[in-house]
Order: sequence, then C-alpha cells, then structure tokens
Amino acid sequence: MKKYLYLFLLPLLPACNNFLDVTPTDRFTQETYWTTKEQAEAALNGTYAALYYNVYAAGSVYTDALTPNSYQYNGDYNLISRGLHNAATGYFNEAWNGSYRGIGRANNLLANIAKVPMDAALKDRFIAEAKFLRALFYLPLWNNFGGAPLITAATDFENQGSLPRNKPEELLAQILKDLDEAAAGTALPVSYSGTDKGRATRGAALALKMRVLLYASRWEEAAATARQVMDLKAYTLFPNYRALFFLENEGNAEVIFDVQYRFPEFTHSLDISLDQQLGSAPLPDLLNDYYGTDGKPISESVVYNPQRPYENRDSRLQATVIVPGSQFKGATVTPIQYPSTGLGMKKYTIFKDNEKPVAAPTSNTSELNFILLRYADVLLSYAEAKNEASGPEQSVFDAINAVRGRAGMPSLASGLSREQLRAEIRHERRIELAGEGLYYHDLRRWRKADQLLNGEIRNLAGNRIDTRQFNATRDYLWPIPSIAIQNNPALTQNPGYNK
Amino acid sequence: MHIQQENRGVFISATRLPGKIRRTCILLFSLLLASRLHGQNQPVIHANLQGQVVDMKTKEPLIGATVRIKGTTNGATTDVSGKFTLVTGQKLPFVLEVNYVGYEPAEVQVAASPAVIALRELNHNLNDVVVVGYGTQKKVNLTGSIATVDQKTLANRPITNASQALQNVPGVFTNQTKGRPGADGAAIRIRGSGTLNNNNPLVLVDGIEYPLGDINPNDIESITVLKDAASAAIYGNRAANGVILVKTKGGKKGVFSLDYSFYAGSQRATQFPDAVTNTVDYMEGKNRALANEGKPAESSLALIEEFRNGTDPFIYPNTDWFKLMFRSAAIQEHNLRVSGGSEKTTFSVSLGYLDQDGIMIETSGKRYALNANVNADLTKKLRIGAGITGNFWYSKESAYSADDGNGEGGLMGLTYRGLPFQTPYAQDGSYADQWIRVPGHNFFRNPVALSREGFNKKDQFRTLANLFGEYQLPFNIRYKTTLAANLMYGINKYNYPAINLKNPKTGVVTPIGNTPARGVRQASENAINLTNFHTLTWEQRFGQHALNALAGFSMERFSDADFSAYNQGYLGNDLEELNAGSSSPQVSGRSGLSKLQSYFGRLNYNYRERYLLEANFRYDGSSRFARGRRWGFFPSFSAGWRLSEETFLKETGIFDNLKLRASYGRLGNQNLPLFSYVDAISLGQNYNFNGSVVSGAAITQVADPNITWETTDMTDIGLEAAFFKGRFHVEFDWFNKETTNILRQISIPAQVGNLAGPVRNIGAVSNRGYEVTAGWKDAFTNFRYNIEANLTQVTNRVTNLNGQRYFGSNTVIQEGSAIDSFFGLEAEGIFQSAAEVAAHAFQNSGTQAGDLKYRDVDGNGVVDNNDRVVVGNSIPRFVYGFSGGIGWKGFDFSFIFQGLQDVDTYLTGNLAQPFKNGAGVTREWLTDSWTPQQPSARLPRLTTSNGYPQNFQTSGFWVRDASYLRLKNVQLAYTFPQQWTAKAGIAQIKVFVNAQNYLTITNFEFSDPERNLTRADLVEYPNAKTLTAGLNLSLK
Repeated sequence: MKKYLYLFLLPLLPACNNFLDVTPTDRFTQETYWTTKEQAEAALNGTYAALYYNVYAAGSVYTDALTPNSYQYNGDYNLISRGLHNAATGYFNEAWNGSYRGIGRANNLLANIAKVPMDAALKDRFIAEAKFLRALFYLPLWNNFGGAPLITAATDFENQGSLPRNKPEELLAQILKDLDEAAAGTALPVSYSGTDKGRATRGAALALKMRVLLYASRWEEAAATARQVMDLKAYTLFPNYRALFFLENEGNAEVIFDVQYRFPEFTHSLDISLDQQLGSAPLPDLLNDYYGTDGKPISESVVYNPQRPYENRDSRLQATVIVPGSQFKGATVTPIQYPSTGLGMKKYTIFKDNEKPVAAPTSNTSELNFILLRYADVLLSYAEAKNEASGPEQSVFDAINAVRGRAGMPSLASGLSREQLRAEIRHERRIELAGEGLYYHDLRRWRKADQLLNGEIRNLAGNRIDTRQFNATRDYLWPIPSIAIQNNPALTQNPGYNK
Repeated sequence: MHIQQENRGVFISATRLPGKIRRTCILLFSLLLASRLHGQNQPVIHANLQGQVVDMKTKEPLIGATVRIKGTTNGATTDVSGKFTLVTGQKLPFVLEVNYVGYEPAEVQVAASPAVIALRELNHNLNDVVVVGYGTQKKVNLTGSIATVDQKTLANRPITNASQALQNVPGVFTNQTKGRPGADGAAIRIRGSGTLNNNNPLVLVDGIEYPLGDINPNDIESITVLKDAASAAIYGNRAANGVILVKTKGGKKGVFSLDYSFYAGSQRATQFPDAVTNTVDYMEGKNRALANEGKPAESSLALIEEFRNGTDPFIYPNTDWFKLMFRSAAIQEHNLRVSGGSEKTTFSVSLGYLDQDGIMIETSGKRYALNANVNADLTKKLRIGAGITGNFWYSKESAYSADDGNGEGGLMGLTYRGLPFQTPYAQDGSYADQWIRVPGHNFFRNPVALSREGFNKKDQFRTLANLFGEYQLPFNIRYKTTLAANLMYGINKYNYPAINLKNPKTGVVTPIGNTPARGVRQASENAINLTNFHTLTWEQRFGQHALNALAGFSMERFSDADFSAYNQGYLGNDLEELNAGSSSPQVSGRSGLSKLQSYFGRLNYNYRERYLLEANFRYDGSSRFARGRRWGFFPSFSAGWRLSEETFLKETGIFDNLKLRASYGRLGNQNLPLFSYVDAISLGQNYNFNGSVVSGAAITQVADPNITWETTDMTDIGLEAAFFKGRFHVEFDWFNKETTNILRQISIPAQVGNLAGPVRNIGAVSNRGYEVTAGWKDAFTNFRYNIEANLTQVTNRVTNLNGQRYFGSNTVIQEGSAIDSFFGLEAEGIFQSAAEVAAHAFQNSGTQAGDLKYRDVDGNGVVDNNDRVVVGNSIPRFVYGFSGGIGWKGFDFSFIFQGLQDVDTYLTGNLAQPFKNGAGVTREWLTDSWTPQQPSARLPRLTTSNGYPQNFQTSGFWVRDASYLRLKNVQLAYTFPQQWTAKAGIAQIKVFVNAQNYLTITNFEFSDPERNLTRADLVEYPNAKTLTAGLNLSLK
C-alpha cells in the first residue's frame, strides 16, 4: 500500500508557469484586431448598429407628440410639450448618448482602417459609409443641442473626457465635410444589391447633406444638393402612399436611407406603442389640416361635409390617422378605442386595414424599417429651398405637385407668390411627412414653435386634454443633460436651463 | 434477554446490539443478521453490574456514554435510559471510567449495583474546538475574532436556506430580501460593506468553495465565521468580506444513531401597503390628482356614478389584488440521518426533503438533499475520507416570473400595479379583461391568468464531492491532501402561454396584450469548480512551549457555461418542448474560466496556553488580472494573553476565562468581471441589411490594464471574559477595516463614444466599529435558562476617492460619506402659499402652494442638481439581536430577535408614489395630502408622480426609515420523558411548535422591512411569516 502513497504527492509537482494564463474566447482584443477585411466590415456594421440607439431611429416618430400633430399623455414627450422638462429629463440624455455612441464607433473605424490590408476600393467605400454615419450622428448635437464636443479621433477616455463644447458652426462644418467626402467620387455606389442593400449610398449622403443645409437655411446649396439627388435618377415616388409603409414594400424605390429592423433580433415597439399605448396619438389639429379632395382646406372645400368629416379628404389622412368608424385591423374602429385623443396613429404600425392581426402586439416585436430619408422629402426640400432661394419657378411646382399627385391630390394653382407658395410647401411637408418625426424640427427651424406649441390642446370631442408651453428663449435648444455635465464639468449649459 | 430482543423490530434490536458488532457494520440489515449469529457466542456470566449515567444538574439520563472498568477493556455504552449493564468476573467494588461527549470524564468507585453516576457538563466556552482555516483550534487559544453557530441554534427552525442560519451572529448582518421558494437566500455582510462591488463573504463547505444556499441546513454540524484578518488571511485574495466555514455532519465513534425530524406548517405574507381597493375612491382620487396638475378628469362623473350604483361584481369590482395573489401556503420538511462508527471508521448518511408552496399563488419549491461522509483509518498512519453533498432544487413560478423580470417586475410588479376596477375572472369563469382603459393600463395583464397559465420551471442540481488522504510522516509531520469537485447543473424552462381575456361587460374576447409571445425558452447553465490543496502540519511541545505550523499549496479552477434557446410558432398551449415550435428561433451561450494558485502557511505558538501568538500568510495568484499584477501577499499577525491563566488571577477564582487579544492583517478581494483588464472589442453589435443579419463589432468599454487587488487592512482588539463558573460571558471587539484600491466601474463622459467606464482601483473605504456580546446561563434541577445579546456598530465611510465623486441614480459615492449614500435635494417642508413660492429660490415654472419646498443649498437662487446633499444611508449603523431560552423538565422555550437601527431606504416604485405610471395609490394620499383646507397634511398635494415630477425628484422627503426589530423565531418544544420512550426503545422524542417572523416593529409600511435597501421598487418576492409544528425522533 505504501508505495502508492506518493501518488498523493503528484499534484505537488511544480505547476506550469502559465497555469494562470487565461485568454478571452468571446471577444477580440484591440492588439489583435484590425487585421482583416472582415474585421473592418464588422466594425462598420457595429457603427450601423448604433443607429438603433440614435434619436433619429424609429423612436423619433414620437417627436410629433411635441407638435400639434399628436399627443403623448405621459412620459418625457409630455413633459417637454408642457415646458416642464429640465436637464435631468431622460430623453435628452438618451439623445446625447445615442449620438456619441455612433460617433465613437465611426471614429474608431476611421482611425484604424488605414492599417487593414484589404481591397482599396472597398476600403474607400467603408470610409465613406463611416463618414455618412458620423455626420448623421452629429446632426442632433448641432441641430438640437446647439453645439457639443467635436471629436473625430479614436475613443480615448484620458484625452477626450474633459473636452468642452464646440460651437454649432464647427459641428456643422464637420458634418458637411464628412458628407462631402462621403458623396465625392464613386466611393459610394448609387445603389446596392442583395444583402448590402441598406448601406449608405451616394444618394443617402447627398440627401442627408440636403437636409442639413435645409436645417441651416442655406437655401441655394440645399436646392442644389436636392437637385443632385434628383439627377441621380435612382429614386421615384412609390405609387401608393399607404403601402409605402408596408412591411412587404421595405426598401422600395422611394427609400433613400432607412434604419433596418428585423424580428426577433432587432426590433422596436411602434406597433404596440402607437396602436395601444398611445405613444403618439394624433390631434384634431392634424386631422383638420388635411385638405378636401379638391385641394382646399376644409374651411373652403366644397366637397367637405362636417357630418361625414372623413370622406372626400386627402387620401393621406386615413393612411396616417386611424379615425372612428373606419376599418382597421379587420374591424370597425370604436369611438373609445383610442381614448387619449379619440384618434390613433396608423403610420408605422404593421397592421393592415382589413386584416385581423394574428397575435396581439407586444413590446419589442415590431420590425418595420424606419425610413430616415425618402424621395418625397427630397422633392419637398427642393421646393422649399428653391422657393426661398429664388422664388417660384416651374421646377418648384413640379416637385410639390409630384408629391401631391401621388396622393391623388390636384396640382397647385400656378402663379402663387413666394409667400403663398411657402405656406403651401410647409403645409405639404406637414401632411406628407406627418408621423415621421420631422415636423418638430421643421417648426423649430421655421421659428414657428413658440406660436404653435403654446396653449391648450383638445381631443376629438373638443375637450381640453392638456396645456402646452414653449419658452421661446429657452426651448429652441435642448438642455445639455445633467449627467453629461456631472461627468464633465467643462460642458456649459444652454440658456435658461439648470444643471 | 436475547429472545426479547429478537421479538422487537429490526431497528430496535439493531440499536441495542453490543458495540463490537456495531462497529463493523453499516447496513441495518446486516446488523440484524449479525445479531442472531452473535447471540450464540456470549461469554459465561459470573456477575453483573447495572447502573445509570445522568447529568449532575438536571439528573437527565445521558445516552451513549461509555462506561469501562478501569484497567480492562471491559466496557458498555449507556442505552436510551442512560442505563448500562456490565458483565464481569470481578467482584465489587471497582473503579469505572465514564466518558461522555461534552462532559468531564469521571472515575468513580462503585460499591453496589445498581449505581447512579452523575457527570458534570463541560464549560463549553473553555473546551470548544472550532473549525478554522485548514484545521481546527481550541477556542480558548484563538487570537482572532471568530463567531460560531452550532446545530443547537439551528434545530427545528424552518430554515429553508442555510444563509438564514447566520441570523443573530454578532458582527454578521443577514438580510433576507426574497421569500420565493428556491430563491430565498439571505445576503450576508460581515462587519459592514468594504467594497463597492460584491460584498458577499467567501463560503467554504468542508474546505471547498460552495454556495451556502445549496446545503441542507440540517446537514450542518457547525458554522464558523472568520471576521478579522487574523483568522481570514489564510484565505487571502477572497477573504476581504470575511469567510464562512461550514462543516457537515459526520459519524461518531461508537455511537450508532438514527435521527428523523419533521415539521409542517403554513406561511403567510408579512406586510403589504394599504392600497385603495375601492374603485370609486380610486377614480375620484385620480381625478383630483389630475386636476391638481391642470389636466382633465380621467373618469367621467357618469362612469363614477355607474360604478357607485353597479351591482354586478364582475363588471363593477372593488378588487384587492394582494388578497388574490397571495395565500396561506403549506411547508413541510423531512430529514433522516443514519450515522455511526467503529474504532477505525465513521460514517454519516442523510436524506432531506423540503416541500414548500410559495405565498404567491402558483409558486413552489422542493429540495432534495443528501449528505454522506465516511472516514477510515486504513493504517495507523494513513487516514482517508470522502464526502458527498448533493442538493437538488426544483422550483416553479409563472413564465411571467413571480418577481423581477418583464420590465414591471413580474407578477409582483403587476400586483403592485393592479387597480380596483380590474378583476381576475369574468362571469363564466374565464379570465377577465378590463372594460375601462386608463393610461398606463392600456392592456390588462391579468396577474391571475399569467400565474395560472404557462410556467417557468427550474431544476438545479449541485454536488460537492470531496476526497482526502492524511498521512503521518516522521518528525510529527502530517501531510493532507484534498481533491474536490463542485459541480452544478441547472435547467430553466419557460413555457410562455397564449391567453385570451374576456371583457365582462361586452363579452368580447381578445388576446392578452404586452406579454411575451407564445413560445418556449430553455436555458441551461453549468459550473465545474475543481480544487486541490495540500497541507503539511507539524505540532511540537517543548516543555511549556507549544508550536504548531502549517504550510500549504492549492490550485483552483472555476469554469462555467450557459446556453439558451428559444422558439416560437406553437399550436396551442399544450406542447412545451423547443422542438414543437416552428418559427423565430433564437440561441445564445457563453463560457468562462478563471483560476487561482496559492501558497499559504500558519505558525502558532503558545506558552502554557497563557501567551498566544499566531502568524498567517497567503500568496495568491489570480487569472483575473494581467500578467505582472496577478500575485498578492496577504499576511496577518495576532497575539493573545489569557490573563485568567496568570497565577495572581487564577488564585482569585473570579474568572473562568479572561483573554485579551489583538490582530492585524491584510486581505484581498478579486471579485470583478473576468477580463476586466483587457481592451476588448465586443462582438454581437450586429445589424441587418435587407433582412439578413451581419455581424458587428465595437469597443463598448474602456479597460484599465493596471487594475489589481482590493486590499483590506484590518485591525481587531478583543476582550473575552467568563465569570461565575461559566454562567456569564462577555466578548468585546473593536475593529477597523480599511479597504484600499477599491475596484469600481466608473462612469465616464458619454462624449467618449458612450462607452462603459473602466473598472478601476479608485479609492479607499473604512468600516470602523465594535461588536459586543454578553450572555448569562444557568441550570438547576429540572430548570435551565439562558439569555444572550449582541450589538454591532459599523461606521462606513469613503475615505479617499482622489477628489472624484461617483453618482448613481439617487446615490453618491463621495469622500466623507458612507458608500452609496442617498443623494438628493433637502426638503424643507411644503409651500403654504403662492407668496411663499415667489419668495423662495426658483424651483420650477409650475411650482405652487402644496408643493415640496427644497433648500437652495448653494444660495444661488435656483434649486437644481448642485443643491443635492446626502439625505440618507443604506448601510445599517446598528445591527443587534438577542436570544434566550427557558427550560423546565421536558419543556424548552426559545426566541431570537433581530434588529436594525439607523438605516434608510429610498422608494420610487408603484404604490410608493401615487398613481405611478397608471398604478394605484395608497390610502394616506387620499386622506393626508396637502389641500388649502388641510395645510398641515404630511404629504404634498396629490398629483400623479409621473405627471408632476417636481415633488418626486430625489429628496430627503422620500427617504424612509428602514429600521426594524423582528422576532425572528420563537419555539416551544417538549421532550418526552425518557422513562416512557425508553420502553419503546427510543432515545428521544421531541415535539415542537415554531413561529418565524411573527412580530415586527417598524415604521416601514410598504412591504416587509427586511429588504434590499438600495432597491427603489417593491417587486421582490416578500418574506413569509411561518408557523410550524413537528417532531424529532432519535434511536440509538
């Protein structure tokens, strides 16, 4: 027996020196990354993935609830619409963080891709895509926050953590520079096929540049850039306005750039939120702004019948808004179905008018792509910019009439003055793009917010549901989030906000 | 005599067999067989001596005492009546040697038969041996601060999780935050919170790292808590939060016994908030709140009137959801143990079964536990042993989860959100929908339906197998090696149901909304921890000098993995396998590995057991750090002086024990996520193009490659004294625990790519305080009593953060304050008029009379984030307890109280705030909130909490006192007189009733006060108060 005893001593033999060396098996390290094309592509895809957290993703439809288009009974949008928000309101922090998440990822790619051995043309395309995305992520920091730290180098906590805000002009210059570089030459294709469809195209870079210039009121450049998009001849208006937002028509010829969702991995909650939780319930103010089929406001329209208010109206009304008595989800909408305002938001739900849904919607199961840039917007932007830059001309009428015509609405009367045309263009923008999260930004740049975002709002029955406040000296800009200031005291606050 | 035995049952005859045979047998059956064979070989009777061994004070018989005629091998063991018979050829008188565990050995001259021999009970405090790191030590010779729990304290209490066994241990704060069957472990804090990370102590079962919740409390022989650095330093890098050593039960030489215990009883919830359950009151209250916010009414007068006059209880209910969702639930537990041993071999085998229904409907848990220990002396020098502890937990809850989970906090969350106009069933017994929609309740997630349909079943198996060999080497050196495997396998299956709800007013049936889609999720996890350690021990006496030394080496490997799959597309609710689904599959999985390598040692010296010295060290290497930062050295030194052994004191006879001790040592903490030092690029940052997923990667976190151990330097000075022949004892410890290089994930400015911050060594925290324990016990004939009290005071303070401050959502970590202090505005009262609002610093544009008034701390005329101050603390300053017992003849009464003082919690969840996101309201808001007519009300004016945030931002007003004093346990037991039970061959029968958590004194009214104090919601499964009755049966 004794001779077996030394077996006990076996484990005492000196342990290998590398016993404690354990390497991660579920992640790359920075030392070993950036060596293949696949890794560069994954880093670029990871930058696209940051779109899901961006303020301009699917959630941006709720910004309509900050405007007379719709109402959210609760939550941050309700607080902001009532002027009760402050630097601690969560929405601003999400917007701020969402931007910098994408910026950091784009920066890391742009800083490292030079050393990746790969096809030069493909590398140029990756760089151009990343610049498009970086510009997109910087947009709210310029447009809504009015300036923020401008960072274009790879993420570096020690050196970037205490940078102060840059001026809005500096951000704007960087955004336009990125978009110019992205759209230059042929780095980006005009279109993709197969599983690359959804990546940034030259048209996307130009259309985003157009939007930025429009927001900056640089009319001539905006009109010229819109014209460049139109001249690509890559886009057409989708024939059916309602079907433009159907799941089966994702990526149609009108779509310039969209944030792409897919069940079950990448989802949002707009189906349940819009249809059930009243996250953005249309207001009568929007309802009443749809023209009669004769192209006239309901106050003037001869085809409008107040007893049957939803008949003989712009087809976009019922493509956007769920009204009582109509067919939706294969049933007749009851008067109490949408208790918040009496109306429901149809656009960006997955449901059809005459089909009963298979299952009740739940949170995080919606997969409809969110269209960030579409051709109708380009046409309307062109019309607006051109009219502001050089007054009415035929190309302006052509652009706006194309959009109206698609909805079955008659063309505008010719011979409108610049001011009359401006009013029609702005009305058209509101109607065409209602429920797509653009009206809030339009009202701000038109400096109309303080007129339209103050006062009582009412439901379909005419009862007051809330009172809104917009402080013209404060609310044109968002507050820098208090958490951001807490973590970096070098950040200054916008006027009128606390820390 | 033999004939009599054979007429009895198997058990009884087996237990009364002579010792020789008993020692060689393990199985009862073979025992019986052997007894028959042996009966034919009895020696010839010349004379016999009969007698009884009893306790000197209580006169109770002592069972299993060994009685031997001095100078011979002729002996016997006392039976269940304490009686023995010696068959001898000698003539009276002669000298007997009598031994019994826990009693002073006696030599008695016996002159006549029958003889009664009385033994004196040993003074426990003086002779106890306690388990310490890699060995045992006499308690009197300890120089460190150690607390122990023995089986007596645990006996017959309905402890469903072994972590609850540490209640009332001085210096230990146990907090049972959850009562869900199978998930009701208590958080354990030893001497405060030393780190910003995981504060859980290291738990070792029979020397191996093993979770305390996975051991059957009934299998525990003793628990030792190593509180100071002197005791814990030998566990180096994992010891900073203290160490808990659990020893499982083994067999005893020469005593064969069979023990069975059982209890059954019922449990109820302790406390729920006083929610408004009358629909009309609720609607009117909500309308009032909205009016105060300037919003229109939500319920029309017509609707309220309709409810007031409605008679159909299905359409016009006044539902109390707490009554519907909770119940009185059954609990029962059975434990069976067989143990024994011969001169060379001891064994113990046990089986345990716990069957517990949860107090929330449709929740339950079952535990099957086994424990086996075998030790054998193979030769004079070689000893081997093996142990197995196995634990199988089965628990069931709703697929929606009982607590936590699904955003709202599972069914607890839905219960706290339940409104009085909602009802579980429609007229025909089908699940009801709501017929009124209010914002925040756009859907009715019927909690009863979600409880009864579908399930989440969890099976978890854990086993600890350990094997040791011990060999006596020359020069008094002993070598021991232990090999152990701790294996865990768990499987979790969620069967998410499809549910339809019927509108009780219109009869329309619709699918339930905003719940997980019909589908099945199956997740498995496993962990394998392997440990191997080797020790050499050396003991030597040189006259009055005693020296002990220990040196050791250990290697540990921890691996774990998990895997989860999900499928949709099921036809109906019946099938519950992944394979039965057809669409939207999802899968995920991972594994992890970490290792530890250590060298350790200890040196003990004492002179006449009067002057005691000890030194420990551990040199630890951990794979959790980068090369070059892995190894840490953790030494400790301690000394003791037993003044009571000094002649000048010994002669006075005042002290049974008087000891002064002091220690200093260093401990480590390596508890941080794996690979925190690696600058990683994370995968899974995926996107999809045109419907196909593409893999994405991104940097998501900053890493700090220089991170290293947290180190805790701890000083302890203690005084122990025992007087009055062991009746009174007192122990006092002062301690100072300074933790430096605290690891914390810091948050960094979002402008740096919105990255998660690095885990860093950021600063230092001190926990300073004292513990005091005092107890008195005495016994007389037929009567005994004892009482003990303890108090721990800890002051937690962040001492250095290099000038930084770190913020949580409503907490702060800053120099000079306790860790995670609640941080908010300072509420100064309620504004009484518009003039008062105007005169005060600006708060918000809508501020008006009835709103909370906050102090403008920086005096700049605006109340904002810069005016925040520390408004409360979440670490209890005082933890105390007291316990006692009285016994009279067979009756024993005992109780345990536990209390916390000077501690706060901060609530923002449903019902803690009015009408939170569509939830209900507590009654006090309707009766005691500010109105112009009621200016002295306690609460500000009634609004919904989301609709009017300014009264609900973090402020001192909402800090709630979480102190409590709780009668943790009270027990009355009766032991049947031995003269009765002995006739049936039974050593002991004891019956008892037990009440747990039946009395609580507290100001906290929203739920059970024993809760996770940093949680803002109320969604944890509540604790139960439990009433049980049972019996113990012992055969020897």
